[in-house]
Amino acid sequence: MSSQKKPSRGMAIVAGVRTPFCKVQGALAGAAAADLATAAFRELLDRTPIRRDAIDEVILGCAGPDAREANVARVAALRSGLPETTPAVTVMRNCASGMEAVLAARQKLLAGEGEVFLVGGAESMSNFPLLMGPKLVKFFTRLGKARSFGQRLAAMASFRPSALKPRIAIVEGLTDPITGLMMGNTAEKVAQRFGIDRAAMDAYALESHRRATAARANGRFTAEIAPLVAPPRFDAAVEQDDGIRTEQTIEALQRLRPVFDRREGDVTVGNSCQVTDGAVALLCTSLSMAKKLGLQPLAVVRSAHTAALSPATMGLGPVHAVPGALERAGIGFDDVGVMELNEAFAAQVLGCLAAFADDDYCRREVGLPAALGAFDPALVNPNGGAIALGHPIGATGARLLLTLAHELRQRSARYGVATLCIGGGQGQAVVLEAA
Amino acid sequence: MSTTGSSAATPTAAAKVPAAPLALERVQLTIGDDGMAVLRLGRADEGMVTLTVERIAELDAACDRLLSHEALGDGSLRAVIVTGPDPTAAPGADARRPGAAMFCAGADVNLIREVTDPQDGEAAAVRGRSVFEKLRRLRAPVIAAIEGPCLGGGLELALFCDLRVVADAPGTQLGLPEVKLGIVPGFGGTQNLTRLIGLPKALDLILNGKLLRPKQALRSGVIDRLVPRSKLLTAAREEALKLAGDGRKAPPRRLRGQAFWLSRTPLRALAVRAARKALAKGQARFYPAPGEALRCCLAALTMPVAQGFAVEAKALGAMIATDVSKALVHLFFLTERQKRLGKQDGARDVQRAFVLGGGVMGAGIAGLLAQKGTATRLCDVAMAPLQRAKQRLQATLDKQTKRRRMERHEAQAVQDRFAVSTEAGSLRDTDLWLEAVVEDLAVKQKVMQDAVARGLPDDALLATNTSSLSVTAMQQGVPHPERVIGVHFFNPPEKMPLVEVIRGRDTDDAAVATACRLAVRLGKFPVVVRDSAGFLVNRCLAPYVNEAARLLLEGSSPESIDAAMLDFGMPMGPCRLLDEIGFDVAAKVSEVMHGAFPERMQPCELFAAMVEAKALGQKSGGGLFGANGKGDGPGRAVLAALRRSRGTPARQASRSELLQRLVYPLVDEAFRCLDEGLVEHEHDLDLGLVMGIGFPPFTGGITRFARREGLATIVARLDELARGLGTRFRPCDGLRRRAIDG
Repeated sequence: MSSQKKPSRGMAIVAGVRTPFCKVQGALAGAAAADLATAAFRELLDRTPIRRDAIDEVILGCAGPDAREANVARVAALRSGLPETTPAVTVMRNCASGMEAVLAARQKLLAGEGEVFLVGGAESMSNFPLLMGPKLVKFFTRLGKARSFGQRLAAMASFRPSALKPRIAIVEGLTDPITGLMMGNTAEKVAQRFGIDRAAMDAYALESHRRATAARANGRFTAEIAPLVAPPRFDAAVEQDDGIRTEQTIEALQRLRPVFDRREGDVTVGNSCQVTDGAVALLCTSLSMAKKLGLQPLAVVRSAHTAALSPATMGLGPVHAVPGALERAGIGFDDVGVMELNEAFAAQVLGCLAAFADDDYCRREVGLPAALGAFDPALVNPNGGAIALGHPIGATGARLLLTLAHELRQRSARYGVATLCIGGGQGQAVVLEAA
Repeated sequence: MSTTGSSAATPTAAAKVPAAPLALERVQLTIGDDGMAVLRLGRADEGMVTLTVERIAELDAACDRLLSHEALGDGSLRAVIVTGPDPTAAPGADARRPGAAMFCAGADVNLIREVTDPQDGEAAAVRGRSVFEKLRRLRAPVIAAIEGPCLGGGLELALFCDLRVVADAPGTQLGLPEVKLGIVPGFGGTQNLTRLIGLPKALDLILNGKLLRPKQALRSGVIDRLVPRSKLLTAAREEALKLAGDGRKAPPRRLRGQAFWLSRTPLRALAVRAARKALAKGQARFYPAPGEALRCCLAALTMPVAQGFAVEAKALGAMIATDVSKALVHLFFLTERQKRLGKQDGARDVQRAFVLGGGVMGAGIAGLLAQKGTATRLCDVAMAPLQRAKQRLQATLDKQTKRRRMERHEAQAVQDRFAVSTEAGSLRDTDLWLEAVVEDLAVKQKVMQDAVARGLPDDALLATNTSSLSVTAMQQGVPHPERVIGVHFFNPPEKMPLVEVIRGRDTDDAAVATACRLAVRLGKFPVVVRDSAGFLVNRCLAPYVNEAARLLLEGSSPESIDAAMLDFGMPMGPCRLLDEIGFDVAAKVSEVMHGAFPERMQPCELFAAMVEAKALGQKSGGGLFGANGKGDGPGRAVLAALRRSRGTPARQASRSELLQRLVYPLVDEAFRCLDEGLVEHEHDLDLGLVMGIGFPPFTGGITRFARREGLATIVARLDELARGLGTRFRPCDGLRRRAIDG
């Protein structure tokens, strides 16, 4: 922890920008993750008075890069005009990939492996592929191996239409392979544990849209979002997030059917995060380097913690991650002026808020001596969250940090926490301090 | 030695061979003891390999040596490789860092310029071809190993070889661009190429003077094999040994599919008809060479070989003596002269550009920059024009990828270089800042000052694309005014080949050099012009369109005026031109010109009347012509009303009157520009007006045209017009003086 005592060794977020977040198969459907990351990187580099060769490394979070660009960070780095000599790595921790990228930069910085990092997250949920089923793979392999005419004929004859059934990567990716639960089902479990009902979820979802609507109207996202012209046809300018429903009513939310547990469940598409495309770029440097470059930091990363828990209740990940981050920062829960807690599901956000204040849970599951405490819901996601803005998996972690950094300045608060739950049963939290 | 395969082919290794190398100055012939001869077309320190009289004589001697060697019959000559100078032996180069390669850039253009007698031209063609033909007489296979430019006579030489192996290097280009100099290929090119790749493709290459990159050349069948540059000689040897081993001179060749049907059967009439149709279009009628080339290509398919060659040589003789060819050669030298402007001292490369204003000009220039490899940021106050800019660029790129002139990833890289935003961002790394915003001096000064305030480096070029404002005025109040410069592109910037580089009062030489270099890099021809109203092109254009408007008022029809100018050789008549640029722009520019030259350039009342009637031209749905340029536009009524109000009977001017009233003042204005020091040299007038207003290239430029027409004739006629129609025609003193001095 000694490193945090010396602020000169801390890592600052000095600039950040993101693409608009757009609904799946919508305005940005034609853009691959690399296209989105390239747009965000280029814009950030153009807006920031920094030489491109000053970047020591590029670190990008992405949960599902296209097969053609598995190390999407390197592709985006080169395409955005960075020198060929700048290394780049793609990191992956499911929903936390974008936050993991920032933490990876911080680890490198603290280890003395660089001082200037171009960081971010990108996801094109529209471009998650349909995969060949094992039957089809087997068929093609057999056909390819067939040499004689007879073998070939036999191979052809072995074809069954059922082999054509594709595996849908986005569905499989959102299903926990250990428990077999879809992510929504884990939210149902959280809701059951803390007695969160459908009405509370819908009310929360409505509030998310309301806050996002207000934030956008107040110009709160202007500094964050860089409009772009949608590739590959460049036939439309995309200037804003398109998931925010300004006219959302509680009645409309109430009419929706549950999707994960169709009979007894309460989680609907309305009170879950939206599936979207988008990318975020952040410029992270040491405090001393920021000074040297003449860049005014937005915020400083004070501490971080990653925790793990049962995959079946992965939505409570933040409850496990936040205490560690606070402890490392040397601050209490009360010191946190504002919190960005990713809205994977309304049930899960409400579950976390309940669990923070739940003695039993904090003692037994998190190993704390007592409950962390009650946290004012007004200070959680004050500009709305993924239910309104969407959750491009690899990008969200970086988006939370960008939004939080701006929000700290907005409120003149000192400390803020960005945290999210991670599919597979993890949680990650970062404490930011106003610069 | 980089490869063992080529070691025998190098001069050092060959020195051991008993048969001493021929003592030639340029061409180098070495015959290895393995029977592999290497004929290098030039010395490594020559830079440019062109076919001069001397080089052809040396080639002849080398070919004779090969023939006599073969006549020994001892099998000591197995194959021949013809290639360019050794790029690894160039001054300052070595095997790891070879210099720029060159096969042969074709005939020496100075030679083309000097020949004035058709018979001399024909004899030169026969001479060159008969030397090349010796390669075909050899029983040993001859392989051309090509890297770098392989143009005109160079490609014709390669076409006499039995096989062509090409290095996939950036500078490699192949083609027969002779028609661009007003001649036809004369060293067997029309014959050999037509037989090799068939009529349609040969016509496409020869009639348009198209240059091919290696991949395209391979696809079209001009070359046989494409290899990495390090493997060029190894691959050529490999092919040579394969043929020699098979006891063969050349691989079997025959045309297939469409190429066969359209060449070797009566169906070729279809290909001929298509080509003739293209040759009848637009201004093509002024250029006889492509038609002659077509005739030659046909002869390749319908006549015995020797007769075909004879037809071609005769055609070259006829073409090389034409005025058109002399004019085009003159312009060729002028373009080479302008290209050198980019290499002056102090010229810097532009790495990062910032363009302000997403209109047609700004978007076009920014897209051009991105296409030529410059990281560019285009800014405007709204996203809509920026989106259109990206989309327009994509349309250009799509066209190129469809024609396979560009790969998809290259097109993507262009778009990646082209950022658009409503935010200016940081200008710290920018080395070209260019504005294409509204033509308002105060606005331009303000955006320039903003740019400086935003951290634009002191040595970055501050460029304006203004067409009517003073660059010197813009320099006022900008720190480091020496880098403020006009870079005037024409509309549309992607197509128009001229860039006027405007030197303001404080602009320094380094800025001019950098702007010229930029223009050349963007594929344009820069002409340096001193800051003055209308610069060069619009200044000369002003009396021209003004007079066209007066002729309209007097009663001449737009069609008759345009037809006269089209027949003169202009690409577009002045009436249609007015419709294209818009009467609003014409009115505005003519106001500026009137302010600067009150006696000469009083704007015709038609401009204001058209603006008032909102018949602006194409942009407003029709001016003198209809919305899509067809039929009568709403402007005809305006014209009729003006004519009525004049009270004089309408009079249709004769063709010669139209010509004299439109073109002679243009000549006068051009010489005024020269005498006032707007440009340095008559060459600038010639090139500037050919590239800027499409003054007929076959005249060789406006000063050449004026001298052919007779300066005294022009002065006399202008004086006459001045007496009859007004002092605006009165020729300048400089023109009078030249008319007397000649």
